[in-house]
Amino acid sequence: MEQEPQKKAADTAVPKPPAKPDDGKDNPNAANEPEQVIRPEDEALVVERLRELGYIE
Amino acid sequence: MQSKPNIILISADSLRANHLGCYGYTLPTSPNIDKFAGEGALFEKVFAPGIPTQPSHTTIFTGQHPVTHGVVAHGGKAKLARGTPFLPEILLEEGYTTCAVDTLFRERIWFGRGWEYIIDPSLHHLFYASVTQEELNDRAIHWMKTVQKSPFFMFIHFWDVHYPYTPPDRMRGMFYKGGNPTDPDNHELDEWWDHPVGAMARDTWLRTPNGLITDPNYVTALYDREIRYLDEGIAALNDALEKLGIAENTMVVLLADHGESMTDHRVYYDHYGLHDCCVQVPTIIKWPAGIAKAGTRFAPFRQLFDIAPTLLEAAGSELPEDLDGKSFLPQLTGKEEASGYDQVVGCESTWQAKYYLRTDRYKFILARYPDLLGNPDRELFDLQADPGEDHNIAAEEPEVVAELEAKLEAFVADKMEAAGRTEDPVTKEGPVAVEIWEQHRG
Repeated sequence: MEQEPQKKAADTAVPKPPAKPDDGKDNPNAANEPEQVIRPEDEALVVERLRELGYIE
Repeated sequence: MQSKPNIILISADSLRANHLGCYGYTLPTSPNIDKFAGEGALFEKVFAPGIPTQPSHTTIFTGQHPVTHGVVAHGGKAKLARGTPFLPEILLEEGYTTCAVDTLFRERIWFGRGWEYIIDPSLHHLFYASVTQEELNDRAIHWMKTVQKSPFFMFIHFWDVHYPYTPPDRMRGMFYKGGNPTDPDNHELDEWWDHPVGAMARDTWLRTPNGLITDPNYVTALYDREIRYLDEGIAALNDALEKLGIAENTMVVLLADHGESMTDHRVYYDHYGLHDCCVQVPTIIKWPAGIAKAGTRFAPFRQLFDIAPTLLEAAGSELPEDLDGKSFLPQLTGKEEASGYDQVVGCESTWQAKYYLRTDRYKFILARYPDLLGNPDRELFDLQADPGEDHNIAAEEPEVVAELEAKLEAFVADKMEAAGRTEDPVTKEGPVAVEIWEQHRG
């Protein structure tokens, strides 16, 4: 069974911007967020684990 | 102006469509991508016929369905047949200078086919997906300034949005409403630690000096920050094209190979399961000299195997006969009405071995093997009543299940016959990552 294109009309609206900018920059807890520290040994562990799963040759 | 356009194909690995403003997200993750869409054309419903990374990129470059080209698993046994058409190879023969800023050829050898230049800054990292948009852009823009001969075809593969989610520290605070990201009493992610990818995250990128990140809302915020960081890279690339004076006749295609499940359907921050969060992908094209009307949105279903024939037609190339995809160039250029598919069939064979069939109304998922989550072999979702695919109604709608299953099996049988296959590739591969993991656990 072939998937044949079916004709439909295009919608020509311009993409709408986000309704309200809300990036959390005013979040008073931002300074308390944890710092992500990816050490070389962490990256090596990621590689080792993904290699075990066959993701990486 | 040269007659053949330059073509830049950008793949943003793991970029979920509905986390972009132009696809309806309410947080400002993508102001520059939204602007890019407003200056180009946006396809609202594009689906990946095969996930995750290796099957999907093979589909993009071959213009074939995974059942046709046979690469259905990430890390599976199947290899792409040498005679399969491959986009950069064809464009090279058409006189294009071809350049991949990418690492995929290190995973599977066929991804190296057809590139005159391969630039891989991920070699500076232990894990290739740690390469940043800035590193990739630096090399891509330098190549365009100093090496390229028009027309050129460039492929850039961004990994920022793929796990591990480690956005720049300057983005701290964005998209998170507060609370305690490392609350030891929050156990919402505990189930994930039993999965090997979750255990890896727990032991590496989710560890902080404050303790383990346990709040899924915070992990989602990290993902969204990575999108915002990628968004800056898309703006930088656009600016470079303008400054080089080549933006007008350069066709820039931004897409993803697959989406990402946040915690949807008990799949945590990964890309398996055949729900729309993973199989629906953003696809946006900017080409000032070619697109009929900037800001056009196309609603009909399209699939990632349509990309290769579309780009080949834009390059003036004759299309190989054995492509499954259909070019949508005549629609982009305003020569035809918008059109698409009434159904999409796709598959995965990595953490689950399943097929899906999606229509405007329904999503039907059929397992070839039991999955790790204990889901039933047949799942049916009414997308009009349940767009989040949360309520399996297969038991209540056996006639719909029978009809969609028959269509799905007919499609697979048809593709197998056309490709000369005697065995269903998903059945043959099985859930390869699960099998490897179980062997490893002994």
